[in-house]
Amino acid sequence: MTMFRADAVDVRYGGVHALKGVSLDIAAGQLVGLIGPNGAGKTTFIDAVTGFTPAGGRVVLDGADLSAQPAHRRARRGLARTWQSGELFDDLTVAENLAVSAQHPSWLAALGQTAGRRPRPDDVVAECLDRLDLGGLADSPAHAISQGQRKLVGVARALAARPRLICLDEPAAGLDTTESAKLGRHLRAVADRGTALLLVDHDMGLVLGICDHVVVLEFGAVIAAGPPAHVRQDPAVLSAYLGADDQSRRAAGR
Amino acid sequence: MPNLLLFALLGLGQGALIAAIALGVVVSYRGSGVINLATGAVAMVSGYAFWALTSGFFGVTCPVPVAFAAALAVALVVGLAVEAVVFAPLRHASPLARLAASLGVLLTLQAGVLLIFGNQPQQEPSVLPAGAVPLLGVTIPVDRFLLAAIVGGITVLLAAGYRWTRFGLATRAAAENEQAALLAGLPTQGIATVNAAVAALVAGLLGILAAPIIQVDSTTLPLQVIPALAAALLAGFSSLTIAATAGVLIGVGQSLLYYLATQSWFPTDNGNALPGMSQVLVFGIIVVALFLRGAGLPTRGEVAERRLPAVPASERLARPALLAAAVAATALVVLPYDFRQALTNSLIGAVIVLSYVVITGYLGQISVMQLALSGTAGFLLARLAGGHVPFPFSVLLAATAATALGVAAGVSALRVRGVSLAVLTLAAALAIEQALFLNTSFGGTSGLGVSSPRLFGLDLGPDGPFRGLDGKQPSPVFGLLVLGVAVAAGLYVAHLRRTVLGRQMLAVRANERAAAAAGVNVRGVKVAAFAISSFIASLAGTLYAYNYASVSSVRFTALAALGLIGFAYVGGITTVSGAVIAGLLSTEALVPHALETWFGIKGTWALLFGGVSLVFTLVGNPDGIAGAHHRRKEAAKYAVRTTVPATGETA
Repeated sequence: MTMFRADAVDVRYGGVHALKGVSLDIAAGQLVGLIGPNGAGKTTFIDAVTGFTPAGGRVVLDGADLSAQPAHRRARRGLARTWQSGELFDDLTVAENLAVSAQHPSWLAALGQTAGRRPRPDDVVAECLDRLDLGGLADSPAHAISQGQRKLVGVARALAARPRLICLDEPAAGLDTTESAKLGRHLRAVADRGTALLLVDHDMGLVLGICDHVVVLEFGAVIAAGPPAHVRQDPAVLSAYLGADDQSRRAAGR
Repeated sequence: MPNLLLFALLGLGQGALIAAIALGVVVSYRGSGVINLATGAVAMVSGYAFWALTSGFFGVTCPVPVAFAAALAVALVVGLAVEAVVFAPLRHASPLARLAASLGVLLTLQAGVLLIFGNQPQQEPSVLPAGAVPLLGVTIPVDRFLLAAIVGGITVLLAAGYRWTRFGLATRAAAENEQAALLAGLPTQGIATVNAAVAALVAGLLGILAAPIIQVDSTTLPLQVIPALAAALLAGFSSLTIAATAGVLIGVGQSLLYYLATQSWFPTDNGNALPGMSQVLVFGIIVVALFLRGAGLPTRGEVAERRLPAVPASERLARPALLAAAVAATALVVLPYDFRQALTNSLIGAVIVLSYVVITGYLGQISVMQLALSGTAGFLLARLAGGHVPFPFSVLLAATAATALGVAAGVSALRVRGVSLAVLTLAAALAIEQALFLNTSFGGTSGLGVSSPRLFGLDLGPDGPFRGLDGKQPSPVFGLLVLGVAVAAGLYVAHLRRTVLGRQMLAVRANERAAAAAGVNVRGVKVAAFAISSFIASLAGTLYAYNYASVSSVRFTALAALGLIGFAYVGGITTVSGAVIAGLLSTEALVPHALETWFGIKGTWALLFGGVSLVFTLVGNPDGIAGAHHRRKEAAKYAVRTTVPATGETA
C-alpha cells in the first residue's frame, strides 16, 4: 500500500488553472523528485498538498484523508515541508526552531503547561541537528546564520517533526555545487531511514542523481514520470526544458 | 423630518474635519507607508496656534489673515519636522514600529499643547462668514456648506494632482512598490516628504477652519483620527475621493445620532440617552471596512523590514525576582507615604505593561484594548464588592469575566493582525470608554466606591491599620499585596518565554505560515495569548480599583492606553524587566513623582518625556532600555564564543 497519495489535485488562481488534476503516489522511504520549467506548478503542488492553498482532489496519508484538514493538522499527521526562502523563526535559536516542530500539544494543553516546569530539551532536536551536521549552531539565533545553513536548518526543522513525508521546496537554490552535493547526501540518508521525501529543485544533477523516481510537470499537468534514467531521455521532457516549438512537440508524441 | 435634515447638514462641519484628517492619513500612507496616528494632532496644533495668535495668548494679537497664514505654517513645519526626525529614519522599520512612532508623535504634540495652553478647551474665532441660509424649512449656518465645499475642492484637486501630474505618478509608483520605485531612480524620500507636507497642510487647514464648530481641545481633536481611520480603511488607504466622502458621511452620521438620541424611543441610561453611541458607530464602521476590504492593508514592496526587538529567555528567574521583591517590600515600609503610593502605582503599571509584553512582545500584535479590559474588571469588581462578594472571589470573578470579554474580542479579530489590529482595538478602546465606562448603570466618571479587600478579618486595603514607618496612609500591606501579584505575574510571563507555548508565540510572531507548517495551531496560540494578556490586564484593573478605593473612567481612557503602550516600548516591550521600567515611568509612578517632588517637574512634562523618548527609542534603540542592557550582555558573550571555530561549516 502506498503511504502517501495525491489524487487529482487541482488548483485555480483566479483565471489561471495552476494544477490540472495531478496525481502522485509515494512509498515510505522513497525519494521522489518533482521537476518542471518555471511556472509548471511545483510549488503550488507542495502548497496544495500541505494545506497552504485551497485545492480540489484528495490528499491521503497512511490511509487517512487529509484533504479537509488545515495546514497545522496535516503537519501533525506527518506532512512536513520546507520553504524556498527558509522561513525560519528568526527570533528563536536554531534548537528552538526545531523544538517548535518537535512538540505540538494542543493550545489548551500548552496553556496548561505554562503553569508547570520548563520543558526538557527534546532528544529529537539534538539528533536532527547532528544528522545534518548542525550541532554547533544549536544556540545561535536563527537570524544570525548563513543562507546555506538556513536551508539546512529548514530541513532539520521539518525532520524534527518526525514526519512521514517531507516536501522540500528548492532546498538547493542558492547553494554552491559542494553544498548542494552535501545536501544530496543528507537527503538520501534521510530517505534511507524510512522518511519519504518529495524534492522540488532546479538542480538537475541533484534531482536526477539522488531520486528513486522523478515526476515532470508542465503547465500544471504531469508530462512524464519514471526512474531518473528514463525521464532524462523522455522526448516530452526534453522539449519542455529546451522550449521546442509545437511541431517538434507533436513529433515527440504529444 | 426638518430636524433630521438640520442635524444631517450640521454634521457637515464635523464631517469636513474628519474628511480632511482622513485625506491626510491616506496621503501620508501613500507617500511613505506610515499610518500616521498624529494626523489629528496636527489639526489640533494648528487650531491652537490660530487661537493663540488671534486671542493674544502670546501677548500679540494678529489680524485674522496673518494668524491664519502663521497657523498653517506651524502645521507645515510640524509635519515636515516629524517626517525628517521620526519617519525618515524609520523608513526601513516594521509597519508596527512606525505606527508606534506616530503614536509617540501624537503623545508629544498633545503633551506640548497641554504644557503651553493647559487643558481648558478654547473657543476659536471663525474665519468663515457667519451667516445662515434657510433651506427646506430649516436654517443652516453657511459655514457648514463652505467647509464641505472646501474639503470637496481639496479632494478634487488632490485626486486630479495624483492622477495626472508626474509627481502623482511617482507617488503612486512608490506606494505600489517602493523598492522598484527606488531602483527606477525615483527619490522616494523626497516623495514621502512632499506628501507629508500635503497631509499636514490639509489637516492643519481644517484644524483652523473647523475648530470653531467643535472647540479646540487636546483630547477630542487628536482622537478625530479614529473616525478618519475608519474612512481611510473604507477607502482601502488609496482612494482620496472615497476617504473624503466617507469622512463627511461619518460626521453626518454622528450628528444624526445626536438627533436620534433626543427621541423618546432611543435607549436610555438612568434617564439620559445611551452614551458613546457615536464611538460605537465608528468602531462598527471599522469592523465593516475590515470585513469588506479584507483584513490586510494594501502592502508595499518595502525596501527592507527591521525585525521586532529580540525576546531573550532568562536562565534564572528566582534570584532576580526575590531580590527585586525584597527591595520593593522594604521600600514600601520605609518610604514616606507619597513615595509609597507612587511605588504602588508603579507596580500596578508594571502589571498592566506585562499584559503588553505577552501580546506585543511575544505575539507581535498591538492591542490597545488591554487597558479597557482593566477598566471593565475594575468596574465589575466595584459591582461585585458592592454586592457583598468576598475579597479573593470578587477579584477572580471580575478578572475572569473581563478576560472572557478579551478572549471573545481576540477570537473575533483572529484574522486581523498587525497595523489593522492596532487600529481596530484603538477604536474598540474608545468605544468601550465612551459607551461602557461612561454608562452610569455600569461605570461613570464620578467614581464608583470600592471597599477594601479583607481576608480573615484582616484589612489588606490602602486604609489598613498597619501604616509603615511614617504612620500614614496608604498602608504598606496593600502595597505588599500588589507586589505579590506583580511578582507572580512577572515570574509567570518570564517563565512563559521558556515554555512550549512561549516558543510557539514567538514562532507565530516570526512567521505565521512557517509556524503552521511546523504543526503550530496559529489561531489557538493567539487565543491563548489573548487569554493570558487579558487576565493579567484584568488583575491590574482590580488592583487599580482597590488602590484608589474607587473606579472611574478617567484611568482607563483610550489615550491613557496609548500612553502606556508608549512607556512599554520605552522600557522594553519584550521583557519583564522592561515592564518594570515602564511601570516606574508611567503616570503617577515613582519616576514622575520623584521628578515632581524634587525638581518641581509636573506630570505633563513626564508625558512629554514619554512621547519624545518613545520616538527616540524606536528610532535609535528599538529593544527599549531593558533590551539594550541585554544586548550588551549578549554581545560580550558572543565575542567570546566566536573565537571557537563554528562547527557547522567544517564538515
